[in-house]
Amino acid sequence: MFYRLSGVHHANYVSDSRIFKVPADRNLTAFIFLLGLAAPFIIPSLYLNSYMLPWLIWTAAALGLNLVTGWAGQLHLGYAAVMAVGAYSAIHAARFGVPWEFALIIGGLTSSVIGSLFAFAALRVKGLYLALTTLAMQFVMDWVLTHSPMISGGSHASLQAPTLALLGQEITSDTGYYYVVFGWCVLVTIFMLNLKRTALGRALVAVREKDFAAAILGVNSFYYKILAFATSSFIAGVSGALLVATFYFLAAPEQFSVSVSIQVLAMVIVGGLGSIIGSYFGVAMILLVPGLVNGLVVAMSNGLGTQVNVETLAHIPNAVYGALIVIILLIEPLGLGKLYGNIRDYLMVWPFDQFKK
Amino acid sequence: MKKTTKALAVFSMLGSWMAGTQALAEPFKVGVCYDLSKAYTFATPQVSQAALDLAKLINMQGGIGGEPVEVIVRDHGNEPQRGIECYSKLSREGVFVFDTLSTPVSLAVLPRAMEDENILMQSLVGRGDAVDGTVFDWVYPIGPTYWGQAANDVAYIKQLHDGDMSDVKVGFVYFDYPFGQEPIEILKTLAEKEGFELQLYPVPLPGSDQASVWSKVRRENPDHVIVWMLGGAHVVASKEMKRNGIPMEKYISVNWLNEVDIANIGNEAAIGIKRGTNVVGGQDVALRQEIMTELYDKGQGSGPLEKTQDVFYNTGLAMYSIVFEAARKAVENEGLPITAKSYKAGLESLEGYDANGLMAPVTVTAKDHGGGGKTRIEMWDGKAWVPQTDWISEYTDVVWEVVKKSSSTYQQ
Repeated sequence: MFYRLSGVHHANYVSDSRIFKVPADRNLTAFIFLLGLAAPFIIPSLYLNSYMLPWLIWTAAALGLNLVTGWAGQLHLGYAAVMAVGAYSAIHAARFGVPWEFALIIGGLTSSVIGSLFAFAALRVKGLYLALTTLAMQFVMDWVLTHSPMISGGSHASLQAPTLALLGQEITSDTGYYYVVFGWCVLVTIFMLNLKRTALGRALVAVREKDFAAAILGVNSFYYKILAFATSSFIAGVSGALLVATFYFLAAPEQFSVSVSIQVLAMVIVGGLGSIIGSYFGVAMILLVPGLVNGLVVAMSNGLGTQVNVETLAHIPNAVYGALIVIILLIEPLGLGKLYGNIRDYLMVWPFDQFKK
Repeated sequence: MKKTTKALAVFSMLGSWMAGTQALAEPFKVGVCYDLSKAYTFATPQVSQAALDLAKLINMQGGIGGEPVEVIVRDHGNEPQRGIECYSKLSREGVFVFDTLSTPVSLAVLPRAMEDENILMQSLVGRGDAVDGTVFDWVYPIGPTYWGQAANDVAYIKQLHDGDMSDVKVGFVYFDYPFGQEPIEILKTLAEKEGFELQLYPVPLPGSDQASVWSKVRRENPDHVIVWMLGGAHVVASKEMKRNGIPMEKYISVNWLNEVDIANIGNEAAIGIKRGTNVVGGQDVALRQEIMTELYDKGQGSGPLEKTQDVFYNTGLAMYSIVFEAARKAVENEGLPITAKSYKAGLESLEGYDANGLMAPVTVTAKDHGGGGKTRIEMWDGKAWVPQTDWISEYTDVVWEVVKKSSSTYQQ
């Protein structure tokens, strides 16, 4: 009824390798894309610049981490450090006078180089050991940032980003920032959607499932792991640079600290490993829900006219938010993406599947 | 029956909500976006409670220019994006005076506040060079910068040694990240100028292990130790000092040392510990006593009484006395309604304002947004804080040189 299907059937390989195997999915995606395009005209500016914009940037970043953690199966606890590399190198390049288009690419490439250089060392170990090694990368980066004024910029280690300009056009309005970020997020999403059907994507999945089994199949697991790190670092670098250029306007080490790394990992895990739509949900959950719950609790306490201590008021949302994460992961350990998948699968041939019983 | 009561409850809730928003005719609002749940909780509860109490007191006395004041406290969990969200949300609700009391959030909000021409108060946090009003038009870090505070500590040490620092050794124990590193440059400059020997002792975060630091201090034996750490790190330091036989009198802390820390160190053990401060410590403060009789004695305080017996409560009173005094000045000069522009002029007309003996007098000008940066050194005597100096602000030329150098990097 909703998907107008009796099931998903493939008669040839072309149909099997389509991005959208169900027409309704494609239509829904197109609709959401149009909604995204129209967002500045239908969403109040507050929501546009304090919810939509960070949501999209972080989604792009989370998709990058999903590539390395969800697809290639490598735990990465130093993702924010890689974002920092991109952000700082792009800003320094832009301050030096390099046009922003190239500055962003420089940011991405620097991240890519440093991220994969580090992966060279880190990938000699696996699993939890790899996680700890990447955590070490985070701390190294934190230390470098707080101890080199050359990189982090003088007072209180803050570095002002020059005004973003793309294609000779200075971007200063909320709408402009939104479109830049929207464009980037769409690009990354398209890349990730296509990854599934490429040899690279299949190799990554093989490496994730068992790297030595993949080696037996002729997949050079070390090479693909490095490739995954390099690609995800590129996405991280550009996302980090855009985060500063369109949202913070100023880079500081705290914006890329270890807690941010863990937050991004949480986004990916809550969203669902290897799930693209899940990354969107996961970011919304981790990034936006605390603020929304906070607003809700404050409104409720104002409404009830109760005199709740401000400190208590600040801790209630944290408890609610924590409980929400636990509940979601209990209901569906594979994350929000899978939760959405379940609903979709249930509705796929509804109501005809009801007749069988 | 149950259903109707429930419905009635919801209805009355909505009713009171609507009435609440309508009854207050355009109050003067202050946006207090604080970290009440993560890193800054050692101070934010006291400071926000002080802000709420002060607003209540002012409203009881008829408000400012006949209009009520409102302090809107929100949590941002020390996350820049939530700080920006709080700022964006409140600024659309007509708030134009903000405070974040968090360095990362203040840094993140600053470019927006400058762009939107909203006032960003950032006493004791954020970038220190924002005292330069010629660059940071809309940012007011009223109170001492860490640079100024460190310079005043050196001035105090100079006083102790009768003006001759040539054979004095000063140690600097600091958290090894931007907060702690900030005074280093000024201390180095002053060491050259005054001829004292400066020894640096970085403490790795979170400061729970300082054994190697203090045994090094014992070996090199500086005459004074200036300390740039927070909260529990003071307690760890005091234990290590005891273990190494270093007298407490050598310890000169940054302003972030409060009664909770003293209690954790131990009242007796803490005797002799010193701190730089821009507010009067203790309960013997006129404004605090007024709040006690008007609010807490009548059970109308905004939080528990213990929180008011803390120097950070006084710090909060000082910060928000300034905020409201500037509003008063704005009404006096340009009348109602208060706008961001008239409020800015109000701030800049503050002259020698000390909130009735609560804090170091501040004089804000268009050039100096720090209000003069006066501090004094106090010593804990087991019962109370005893001032060791007057309100001083020394080496201002050296401090301003650093400020100018740093603020010049803000613009391209």
